[in-house]
Amino acid sequence: MNRLEALRNAVGELLDKVEGVIALRNKSGHVAPHLFREREELNGLGLSPKYPLPATLRLIQNEYPEAKLGIVCRGCEERGLIEMAKRNQVELGNVTVIGLACTADEAEECRCAKPYPSVLVDAHVGERTEPVPDRVAEELRQKEVAERLSFWRSQFDKCIKCYACRNACPQCFCPECTLEEELWVERGRVPPPFPSFHLIRAMHTAGKCVGCRECELSCPAHIPMTALYALIRQEMGEMFGYEPGVDLEDQPPLVLPMEVEI
Amino acid sequence: MTNSVLDLEEADCILITGSNTTEQHPIIGTRILRAHEERGAKLIVADPRRIQMAIHADLWLRQRPGSDVAWLNGMMNIIINESLADEEFIANRTEGFEEVKEAVARYTPDVVERISGIPQEELRQAALMYGQAERAAIVYAMGITQHTSGVDHVKACANLAMITGNLGRAGTGVNPLRGQNNVQGACDMGALVNVYPGYQVVTNPEFTQKFEEAWGVTGCSDKVGLTVTEMIDAAERGEVKAMYIMGENPVLSDPDSNHVIEALQALDLLVVQDIFLTETAELADVVLPGCSYAEKDGTFTGTDRRVQLVRQAVPPIGDSKADWVIICELAQRMGARGFDYASPAQIMEEIASLTPIYAGVSYQRLEEQGFLQWPCRTAEDVGTPYLHEGQFTRGLGKMHVVEYQDPAEMPDDEYPFMLTTGRNMFHFHTGSMTRRSAKLEQESPEGYVEVNPEDAAELGVSDGEQVKLLSRRGEIQAKAWVTDRVPRGLVFAPFHYAEAAANVLTNPALDPQAKIPEYKVCAVRLEAA
Repeated sequence: MNRLEALRNAVGELLDKVEGVIALRNKSGHVAPHLFREREELNGLGLSPKYPLPATLRLIQNEYPEAKLGIVCRGCEERGLIEMAKRNQVELGNVTVIGLACTADEAEECRCAKPYPSVLVDAHVGERTEPVPDRVAEELRQKEVAERLSFWRSQFDKCIKCYACRNACPQCFCPECTLEEELWVERGRVPPPFPSFHLIRAMHTAGKCVGCRECELSCPAHIPMTALYALIRQEMGEMFGYEPGVDLEDQPPLVLPMEVEI
Repeated sequence: MTNSVLDLEEADCILITGSNTTEQHPIIGTRILRAHEERGAKLIVADPRRIQMAIHADLWLRQRPGSDVAWLNGMMNIIINESLADEEFIANRTEGFEEVKEAVARYTPDVVERISGIPQEELRQAALMYGQAERAAIVYAMGITQHTSGVDHVKACANLAMITGNLGRAGTGVNPLRGQNNVQGACDMGALVNVYPGYQVVTNPEFTQKFEEAWGVTGCSDKVGLTVTEMIDAAERGEVKAMYIMGENPVLSDPDSNHVIEALQALDLLVVQDIFLTETAELADVVLPGCSYAEKDGTFTGTDRRVQLVRQAVPPIGDSKADWVIICELAQRMGARGFDYASPAQIMEEIASLTPIYAGVSYQRLEEQGFLQWPCRTAEDVGTPYLHEGQFTRGLGKMHVVEYQDPAEMPDDEYPFMLTTGRNMFHFHTGSMTRRSAKLEQESPEGYVEVNPEDAAELGVSDGEQVKLLSRRGEIQAKAWVTDRVPRGLVFAPFHYAEAAANVLTNPALDPQAKIPEYKVCAVRLEAA
């Protein structure tokens, strides 16, 4: 049984227990997120390209907070859900997760440190494959600061300020975004002023970014920003012993609750 | 485009001129940058402004606006002298080379530098870079065409590609980037003054007869009509009585706006069909509400002759209707026969039956294959990713001698600055759609003019201050953006903003052949407001 058939079976079984399952659907040669409600729809079920389904879960839960839902999650999507749950963006109590392991090629493509889900999963589809180190990040880490600066400058000079990185990011849910504030980023300039736009985004995703690479995949300028965020994630790990997306109970260091009333 | 957007990534050298590609065709810009970054394709940018592409270019030539014949001829001269011309291609595929060779010999590097301001060594490097490439592509847009010598600029680009054999193969070609999603499709369907669909000329009785028979009518005109710019003048003279404008906003997009408004007001009847009440629609006697891309089925034909489906996502809002529905209903009320199509798919069947280059296009094939690139002559034809393989449409490729001429209006003592107009990333054309988007308005809410820091200092203008721009045709006020994006003596203003409409200033002088106005050069004076 191939992955798609296995996934179709898993979603079909889950449909008996929940009101709908969030997964991908092929339609007219395009793939988009879809809330599957009936088994008959499952012919259109899609596997790839990957898409940030947790963001779709958040939208549906905003409208239907009590709905019993299923969702298909890859490793990165599960990590994303964990960070979103910590910030009250999704409520996992009513959610059943079907885990989808990425293929070795997909893991390679994403330079993924954990290409399979394992924490929230109720049903598994696909074989686990080996983690892939982020070579782009590693190469950058070996370089001198000046060299890194010039690398990022040339990369960010390609930016057309389309905001796709932010819009695709499951962790970017602020109603008001600093990237749009004139005080921090001069408006109407292409490329946006270096380095404010991109470094603000890097800082604001610190402690939240789970390396799902949706930003990079949606970037029309092909800026490898996931490598920058991976370096920040390493630093966060060294400084605070925190790794985003691993443990639901582990509190993120940059949003610790106040321990005393003021 | 002779070639495809996709095969730009196969080029070894890409020459971009008169195209702010990353801001105006961002996805094409991405492909070009990827070819440059990942495959090491050489990138030459010729543009008076330090646009984003210029930052990434191996070589940036900063020509004076309107001097393109000079530097393109100059490049050819160097290529010929350095024996980089493709003699076999010239001999087998082209005609007129000797005359061109003789003409370009006068465009020595020092002559070119005097006309264009491009340093001799840089011109030489550009010629070698382009001339030595196995596959070289030329990419251009309105910076080449919107001049009184626009046709000559295009011919010079074609000459350069022909003498180096850069046509008829992937990764080469002469590639104009069209500015609207379906302007190629509109031209293909005969929305031009001299052709039926598929560029079948109205002056050929064979074609006239073919369409009369197909449509069951007689008396189809065999005369070439008036171009858009000529219609405005004819309206002012009272020779054109009525005008029906669809999806266009000439009050902001045509040169010399004040003149356009007067001409439109002189009409007996003005009908405007648009999705919003544009500045032009405000002058109309009748406004017909069209609907947007998301509210209708149909096809768009992109810049590389690529026909793709657009699908209805939501029903038409309010009283709006798809353009084809409005046209059919209007025709039926006027008593015309044949306007009883059931769907856009059925209209495509008629297009295919009458238009050889679309003969193999059908909704079913588009649904299955995603896209088809014309010419697509039969139901089995897979389409044409690049034109002119083995042979040109007319047989041999004709080279034309072109000579440099000054733009129609050059700076002088009274109007000492050169104004060039264009667009920015955040607004589309006259802003009829984008200026209604809060997020895009947030990025770029008002008109501005790019002024070189030294010029600004002399004028006593600081960044962000209001300045007055005056030309022989009118004046506007806009915010100064003091920036070295523009060289001394040149100012740039986008034409998106009705309240600071750059086309109040522009010169309605036309290219004698194509009748395209000289949006890219006119003379202005700047004053602190």
